[in-house]
Amino acid sequence: MYKIGKNAGKKWIAAVMAAFVTVAAAAGCGKTDKAGAEERKERNSITVAASSDTGSMDPAGSIALTYLTYSVSALDELLTFDADGEIDYRAAESYEVNEDSTVWTFHLREEAAWSDGTPVTSADFLNTMTRALDPKSGSGYANYLFPIRNAEAIYNGEMESGELGVETPDDYTLIFYLEKPCVYFLDLLRLPVYTPSCSTYAKETGSGWDTDPKTSVSNGPFYLAEYVPEQYMTLKKNESYWNADAVSLDEITYRFFDSQEAMLYAYESGEADAATGLPSTVMSLYEGKEDLEITETIATRYIYPNLNVEPLQDVRVRKAISLALNRENLCQAVGGDTEPTVNFIAAYMKDKTTGNYFIQEAEPPFQENVKEAQKLLAEAGYPNGEGFPVLTYNYPTLEMDSDTAQVLQEQLKKNLNIEIKLNAQELQVNYSERRAGNFDLCRMNWTADFADPYTYLSMLLSNSTYNCSGIQDAQYDALVAASDTETDPAKRAELMHQAERLAVGEQFYVIPLYSMKSCNLIRPKLEGITQIAATGALEYRYAKWAD
Amino acid sequence: MIRYTGKRFLISLLSVWMLITVAFFLTRQMPGSPFQTGNVSGEVLEQMEQEYGLDQPVSAQYVTYMRNLLHGDLGISYMNPGESVTEVIARALPATLSLGILAVIVSLVAGTLLGMLQAFSQKRWVRTTILFGTIFGAGIPNFVIALLLALVFGVQWKLLPVVGLDSWTSYLLPVLSLAAYPTAVVTRLMCHTCRQELQKEYVVLAKVKGLPMRRIAWTHVWKNAWIPVLNYAGPAAAFLLTGSFVVESIFTIPGLGREFVNSIANRDYTLIMGLTIFMGVVVIGVNLAVDLLCAWMDPRIRKSYLKDV
Repeated sequence: MYKIGKNAGKKWIAAVMAAFVTVAAAAGCGKTDKAGAEERKERNSITVAASSDTGSMDPAGSIALTYLTYSVSALDELLTFDADGEIDYRAAESYEVNEDSTVWTFHLREEAAWSDGTPVTSADFLNTMTRALDPKSGSGYANYLFPIRNAEAIYNGEMESGELGVETPDDYTLIFYLEKPCVYFLDLLRLPVYTPSCSTYAKETGSGWDTDPKTSVSNGPFYLAEYVPEQYMTLKKNESYWNADAVSLDEITYRFFDSQEAMLYAYESGEADAATGLPSTVMSLYEGKEDLEITETIATRYIYPNLNVEPLQDVRVRKAISLALNRENLCQAVGGDTEPTVNFIAAYMKDKTTGNYFIQEAEPPFQENVKEAQKLLAEAGYPNGEGFPVLTYNYPTLEMDSDTAQVLQEQLKKNLNIEIKLNAQELQVNYSERRAGNFDLCRMNWTADFADPYTYLSMLLSNSTYNCSGIQDAQYDALVAASDTETDPAKRAELMHQAERLAVGEQFYVIPLYSMKSCNLIRPKLEGITQIAATGALEYRYAKWAD
Repeated sequence: MIRYTGKRFLISLLSVWMLITVAFFLTRQMPGSPFQTGNVSGEVLEQMEQEYGLDQPVSAQYVTYMRNLLHGDLGISYMNPGESVTEVIARALPATLSLGILAVIVSLVAGTLLGMLQAFSQKRWVRTTILFGTIFGAGIPNFVIALLLALVFGVQWKLLPVVGLDSWTSYLLPVLSLAAYPTAVVTRLMCHTCRQELQKEYVVLAKVKGLPMRRIAWTHVWKNAWIPVLNYAGPAAAFLLTGSFVVESIFTIPGLGREFVNSIANRDYTLIMGLTIFMGVVVIGVNLAVDLLCAWMDPRIRKSYLKDV
């Protein structure tokens, strides 16, 4: 080897050291930990880590996570329900309903204004509905307008949009005429298609008015001040908001992330003050710390057995599979953010009339019992699993579902001596195969769209588009239809319990596994963050920094 | 030369067309639909697919797409109808490009210096350290390096930001993760060619003349040893433009790679096609330019090429 000067080695070391010093200097500038949170506290602002930036912010448009993030802080629906099931009037100040629940009249707040100062009128509500009923809009929630008279015909192009059963006799009155009685109509009002969009700017879906701060006005506590696609959006306090006095923060910044790990890093490095929907490993990482906030999600994970597949059309086989599972062990293996359930309706959904969890007001539809499961399987012609065909279980390649699949495989082998083949699929593939009915057993998850058990029960109706396993049950359909028009809350609840018992505890059309919790990290000094009763998501509109 | 240029140009055009066609039919082969997200009901889904012409036969969709493409229209993003595919590319390109260019510069400079140090240093520990460094740099995938850097500098020491590209400090970790592999390659290449050069007669002559080794290295060996590195710089640049997918996701950088990954997951057909075409044209264009440059410099290349074709 040759030598470049005497001190070459030392010079190189010096150069490497210099590089490190540069990094350390960068450190000084980039020091973000507590300084970041402190600095935001001084500015009376917070940064929230949000899931990836997808979809538009137009309530009548093709919406996904971005709208859900934006709307909880920026838009006021007519009314909503708080955690105790009490009505929280927002854009409306009162409502009336006729005797058979087919005509709903809402009186809007006259003091309500858009963030540009112009009044919020009934025409703005109609504006969203009319645009959403044009299939071009790409609204995935358009079907929730179908209870309104003529809405479905308009959507299918059979009628003109002027024939919609919505009247706006004056700027502050909004009347809905429904096709048939709908007792959960108030619960639908939190959905995007019932949320107003300012007629001055929101003329066309997809024109970009919704992401441009100049035209994207809001009627809620915050308005869009800056939007950088795929990076962040900054919302500022709307001084024209009718309830502006109750709003403490001056600014909320939502940063978009693609992965849960990146969100966790952002929280730990001090670049975010709140991060939601984190992996369950965070629970042990933050055990005993004030930052950790576990919230209940209104969601159920379950299995669809395909009724067109031999031998799953035999109710004894479906029952045997459901009874043979040990959900307690399953949840221990999958993670602390799951809770075993034998119900189809989400375990944390509340009955608004009583304030209790809906499923706890009735007996569980069935109980796990391995012995009975083995007996049933033998009765069906497969004693000790002999001759039982190998069924395939389709599930998306998410970590939670992969873990679940392996536990299911092991439990069914051990308890019933039957084999299932695991078939991990990309999420989109899983959706479309399920929709096409190409499966034996398929993993399914349903997060409530609105706070009523109907969001679950309607999926198993014979004509439901989510009924992809071939369920045709007139008795079930009749029970759900009866509950749909029953105006006495107690009687209605009983009908819904009966329907669930029939589907889950007698016919075993679905095999429930667990209900979900959400693992969140929130700076302990941040107060006033509430939970949306319908979905369990967090709401930051009244958040504030403690002194 | 004109004939050669014409032929190469035609072949490049053909490659682009092939790429578009294959990509188009493959994306439509994937199960799933751009409108199929969580809770969308079947009737709404069908109505929307009809609206966007996705219920038509794939061949008909292809003809429509090609017609629009020839008019320079890449369409709109299905996931965000307010934004055109061209706008998405224009928005995402600067982030990817700035990271890529920085990573290329870092890897060329650091790789050259480290490679020479490894070749010339007399200290065994220096040589061994660099050797191990290159083994790690070339062997560990960049997303693992990115995660490690984010953990150590962002989460543990809280020195550097791990989210987005807000200030110059945000560039440090992603650029380091992206530069690790090319740096290791350049270091090895440089060390290897330096050692080869040292055997050559001009070096022996310089030594006989009594030139100090430092001068031989910096004035003579360096230039000759650097030519293979320059050859590597072309493909490396193309790799960094297209290869930063995972690193962009880890550091939440709004670049092309992140758009690409998301567009595939969302089945955003037009965006997948737009990004494929864009990156394809860049790669094919760079290759065309390099080929033309070589042929211009060396007539033998274009002669042998014209004979073959």
